[in-house]
Amino acid sequence: MNYLRVVALIFAKDFREEIRRKENVISSLLFAFLSLVLFAFALDPTQVDLNQTGSGLLWLIILFAGSLFMGASFRKEMETGTLHALLLSPTDRSAIFLGKFLVNLVFLLFLEALLLVFAFLLLDVQTGPVLVPLAAAWIAVTVGYAALGTLFSALIANVRGGQVIYPILLFPVLIPLIIAAATLTQDALAGRPVYTSQWLRLVALFDTLFVTASVFLFEYAVEE
Amino acid sequence: MNLRTWVRTLWGLAVVLNAAALTMIFFYAPVEIQMGAVQKIFYYHVPSAIAGYVLLFLAFLFSILYLWKDDPSYDLLAYTTAEVGFVFITVVLVTGPIWGRSAWGKWWVWEPRLTSVLILWLMYSAYFLLRLFSRHEARAARIAAVVAIIAFFDVPIVHKAIEWWGSIVHPKKVVLEPPMRQTFFVAMIAVFTLAAALTLTRFMVGRAEERRLAQREAAP
Repeated sequence: MNYLRVVALIFAKDFREEIRRKENVISSLLFAFLSLVLFAFALDPTQVDLNQTGSGLLWLIILFAGSLFMGASFRKEMETGTLHALLLSPTDRSAIFLGKFLVNLVFLLFLEALLLVFAFLLLDVQTGPVLVPLAAAWIAVTVGYAALGTLFSALIANVRGGQVIYPILLFPVLIPLIIAAATLTQDALAGRPVYTSQWLRLVALFDTLFVTASVFLFEYAVEE
Repeated sequence: MNLRTWVRTLWGLAVVLNAAALTMIFFYAPVEIQMGAVQKIFYYHVPSAIAGYVLLFLAFLFSILYLWKDDPSYDLLAYTTAEVGFVFITVVLVTGPIWGRSAWGKWWVWEPRLTSVLILWLMYSAYFLLRLFSRHEARAARIAAVVAIIAFFDVPIVHKAIEWWGSIVHPKKVVLEPPMRQTFFVAMIAVFTLAAALTLTRFMVGRAEERRLAQREAAP
């Protein structure tokens, strides 16, 4: 079977499953929304201009809610034995990774889009005029985040206490990405150039390096 | 010479060299004119940082070798070097603020080199947490190896990101008086000998643990 077709099939299977099971999607989205509300109380938006300081906070929400979603993406496969079946099938293992990665990427982008809408509605973060550069920056950052999130999710799927370890393992590695995301968001909201930013180049380097590394290392992560 | 003799010799050397280094630091090296006596922490701070980075680099290499060759002794070597490296970067994180307090006036400055070490420390904390949750499992060894490899590639990016984000306080180049240079040189050898002794000792302990585990499994 054609490699891309395998990736598409695994993507379709996981995507359909997430939509039908709902629990994972809904709990992560609700958690993100709740965090946004809590941040409003913690910061008092009448005092703090969230167009200046909000960017980092939005990314913390994406980090927490996203890890809630991605952390579970291999555990259920392990519990139901699906992963064993997938690993036994005569296909390149990197195709399994890429399928999962795409599902996580699509979900994270959906979460981010919703978050932007609610940040505008509830906290008056002015996203409208700068939507295109903002989206470009966020998509770039999300690619690297989803790649490492998927790899680490596969790593901890079979480990006792995996849910606890997952964010502790993932977040330190993501620190450069988070600094870049916060800075790029702030720049975009302030109308400063994004495409020529050195931070976008750093994100591009991060993405290239860790998407490649994840595809390569995934095989060792799931080996039985 | 077998491993045990090597370890004993190294420990003997480490004790003598560290005594010599400490004597030189306090009685031979001059007191720095701006920072005063606190600057003397430099003689252990910098060698510990170098030793820590070298050991964690070795952990990275052994992790690759483990994934490649699938030989458990590489995993033990990776674990050993990571653990001792972790101890040395902890020393850096403790001595750094003590020095920084008098040099920069603050306990902590979000500065590239120190912050990179902190983030590396966090990554390896997770690495040991993972090992703690799943002791003596071949699966855990493979996972830990993957984490060590990712951490290694991440550190330069972390450093660059914090450099852009924060400020630079560490001097790029330091000129040392000859007595200071000699003291630093001795301290460097002393710290590296200590690191080697600790690593080999930890390796022997790890091997003994594995033997004990194998015996217990073999017993009816």
